[in-house]
Amino acid sequence: MELRADAAHGFTQGFRAMVPLWLGVVPFALAYAVLARDVGLSLVETQALSVLVFAGSAQFTAVGLFGTGAAAAEIVSTTFLLNVRHVLYGLSLGRQIPLRGWRRTTAAYFLTDEAFGVVAAREERTFSFLLGAELSLFVTWNLATLGGALVGSAITDPAEIGLDLIFPLAFLALLVPLVRTRVELVVAVASGVLAYALSEGLPGGLPVLVTGVAGSLLGALLTRGRPDDLHLEDAAREVA
Amino acid sequence: MTFWLTVAGMLAVTFGSRYAGLALQTELPDFWVRFLHFVPIAVFAALVTPSLEGDFGEGEIRAAGAGIATIVAWRTRNLGLAIGAGMLAFWALRWVT
Repeated sequence: MELRADAAHGFTQGFRAMVPLWLGVVPFALAYAVLARDVGLSLVETQALSVLVFAGSAQFTAVGLFGTGAAAAEIVSTTFLLNVRHVLYGLSLGRQIPLRGWRRTTAAYFLTDEAFGVVAAREERTFSFLLGAELSLFVTWNLATLGGALVGSAITDPAEIGLDLIFPLAFLALLVPLVRTRVELVVAVASGVLAYALSEGLPGGLPVLVTGVAGSLLGALLTRGRPDDLHLEDAAREVA
Repeated sequence: MTFWLTVAGMLAVTFGSRYAGLALQTELPDFWVRFLHFVPIAVFAALVTPSLEGDFGEGEIRAAGAGIATIVAWRTRNLGLAIGAGMLAFWALRWVT
């Protein structure tokens, strides 16, 4: 059990660790909100998706599907495909930070790619750090959603000035410190190539899910009988 | 009403996925421990490549920006510096080409 002062410190540390990612989140959320208003969602509906679903790629995809008049079942199925990868994050986090009761529910509600990435790259693995990182992104995502929804169609596509490049750069910067062994390099390169090939034919988040499973299987197979090749505790290093 | 039903469904499958992993606190066999070790590596790599090219035929200078970001991330392990250096390199190359 953490002491209250330690918990407050951990929360602040987690909140701050996400600040560099705000640069990527803000244009992403602005673009989502503009797109949502463009297909006819109200201000409340646009904001509700960011508060209740809080999953950028799924929100983007859902809004695109709303625009084409897709059925509810189709949108929900696509959302599941996009977000089931969070099971993998939860399994990984659950091993590092045992959570029960309201802590588990809260940590699950706000879990994202980015929060998982920052926590996985840190040695400080506490509930308060995780929650700080999660809420840092939630607050930023929702404020930027509100801003984008209010400004609406006045914002031009952020991709035109290249701000969408921040997303691959951010995940690259999270990836690089994790690659310390030859097998890890092989898995990273193979996964990048596979995801690129799959993204030509599969919708949004599916290449990530398939590659996440395939790349991890490859790594596990290549390290069979070679436990010394892994730095399980220190492979995930501080990035921020 | 259809909108809110859709949102309820999206919430259910998203929260369900996020909760399920955290709730399954089992002792995993060695193979799956090694599997999970590689999950962030595989997933982060998968999030990089499909969005690297962009939609405006600027794949080469975006890749150059990513190269700079990789070097800075490798040398400094600083996320903000790596992103900033990559974006600046991209904008500079865009300016001169």
